[in-house]
Amino acid sequence: MTTRLTISLFLLLAGAVWLLDACKKSSGDNNQFNPTYLSFTIPAGWPQPATDIFSNNRLTEEGFQLGRKLFYDGRLSRDGNFPCASCHQQFAAFATYDHQFSHGFNNTFTVRNAPGLFNLAWMKEMHWDGGVNHLEVQPLAPITNTNEMAETIEQVLQKLAADSEYPRLFAATFGDPTINSQRMLKALSQFMGSIVSANSKYDQVKKGAASFSPGEQSGYTVFKAHCNSCHTEPLFTDYSYRNNGFALDPFLKDIGRMGITGNPGDSLKFKVPTLRNVALTFPYMHDGRRNSLSQVIEHYRNGIITSQPTLDPLLKNRLPITSQQRVALLEFLQTLTDQSMLKDPRFEQPR
Amino acid sequence: MLAIGLLAGCQKTISLGTEPVNSDSGTIKLTFRNQVGNTPLVLNTATYNNPFGESFTINKFKYYISNVKLGLSGVPTIAIETESYHLIDQGLPASLSFSFPVAEGKFISLLFLVGVDSTRNVSGAQTGALDPLNDMFWTWNSGYIMAKLEGTSPQSNQAGNKIEYHIGGFKGANNVLKPVSILLPGGKFIDARKGEVSEIILEADLQTWWQGIHDLRIGNSPVITTPGILAKNMADNYAGMFTITDVINY
Repeated sequence: MTTRLTISLFLLLAGAVWLLDACKKSSGDNNQFNPTYLSFTIPAGWPQPATDIFSNNRLTEEGFQLGRKLFYDGRLSRDGNFPCASCHQQFAAFATYDHQFSHGFNNTFTVRNAPGLFNLAWMKEMHWDGGVNHLEVQPLAPITNTNEMAETIEQVLQKLAADSEYPRLFAATFGDPTINSQRMLKALSQFMGSIVSANSKYDQVKKGAASFSPGEQSGYTVFKAHCNSCHTEPLFTDYSYRNNGFALDPFLKDIGRMGITGNPGDSLKFKVPTLRNVALTFPYMHDGRRNSLSQVIEHYRNGIITSQPTLDPLLKNRLPITSQQRVALLEFLQTLTDQSMLKDPRFEQPR
Repeated sequence: MLAIGLLAGCQKTISLGTEPVNSDSGTIKLTFRNQVGNTPLVLNTATYNNPFGESFTINKFKYYISNVKLGLSGVPTIAIETESYHLIDQGLPASLSFSFPVAEGKFISLLFLVGVDSTRNVSGAQTGALDPLNDMFWTWNSGYIMAKLEGTSPQSNQAGNKIEYHIGGFKGANNVLKPVSILLPGGKFIDARKGEVSEIILEADLQTWWQGIHDLRIGNSPVITTPGILAKNMADNYAGMFTITDVINY
């Protein structure tokens, strides 16, 4: 009885599959549309992203490659000189190497330090103040900002539509050659969201494939005692907004998170940045006001302005890190550099 | 049963090649007439006075209407427009009315949201009425500008006497999303029949932006362009701008 039922169900399903197949063929006009679907892999031991940025933007090789081309294309900027990659350089973990502020259109500076772009699939809110709520809409800000790429979305789309390659690439990704803002943004999101950094020496040690030097090991102990509550493993951030005790810059007057929420309790709070690849993302802090990791640790030891009302409670006594511990901590932070991501040919400028 | 379900799905897929209008449904047409008091709104050239005697001109007047529903007579269910997002833009005459299919029935009320529901404000890149090209999306603090009014007034202390209201914010106490529910006037009803069109004509009175629940003088607030209490107060006011002036079953 059970066997017969199973067989019947099998036949029914087989028939159903055949019918579905027939459906597909009858729709006709999509013969050329055959994208290669990719799966997004969560590194072992990592949390699931809070929201799946690919749930309404199914990851495909075509979409990834289109996003990659867009990311490196200067035509997304007004004068052609400022592709996304001008401020987000792969060798600098997709931050701007050795720049407090990045350069924008017409000899301008940005007003915040460019963050590294990786592990964005786990980042619910973009920008130092968390003002951007989805990776797909993030590029709208730098593309249109007058001190960044300084272009309009209309003109970007016109330039793409006039190009000899883009209509074909959009068709390969989306089924027809229509170029619109939604498709451009989804493709960019596929590329940016696919950049994952999970293969540093730290990760190798966690997997048992490498071991820390004695200095790195004691640095890791210091890290766990003093840093991990905000720069939480394995992403090395908890994505919260905190005031870490720097003075308000009198020129920039950047109040951080309060500018988004309007809540005075959020004054001077900025997103906790990841420490992955931190050796390459100098200068540090939202406005790049510290040049070296040594200076950053010194701030936490002796520089925190403890009188600020919104100072993070974890920092109210500053951090009791000894000089010796500082050296060890610096050694440990070097283990968070992920050479395989920095040199991954899939993330390079397409040829 | 499974096969029948799939067959039905199959037929639907094939029929997508033709007009998506279901012959079993009626069509509802909503038409918005933007007014200043009793006068039809004219952009750029006309000068008006608000309830406080402050004179002004308007050069942009746009607002989102979303999640449109019709209330049924006597039955506790409703007809819902799918993918219901519309940008009413005084500068684009074609945007002032839109149509959608509904099942046959008698409907006695119209429900909609002024603005874009919070879900779509956090769901990434959108298209159509929600395309950021429509200049109704904030790039620095993600979210839609739910309603926009721009113009000039001698009472404005801004450069060029500019007045500018970009009303948005979908979170917390200063959420500006406004559900509107209007009973069709005079005992009228929508009689949706297959193949037939029924039209609801609404007037939207811009004068309500300054006065209604809160007094908002141009002299005090010529510019409101961030989420906050002023934006919320203006939304409280403009939520009352709609009146149904006619219901026509063609």
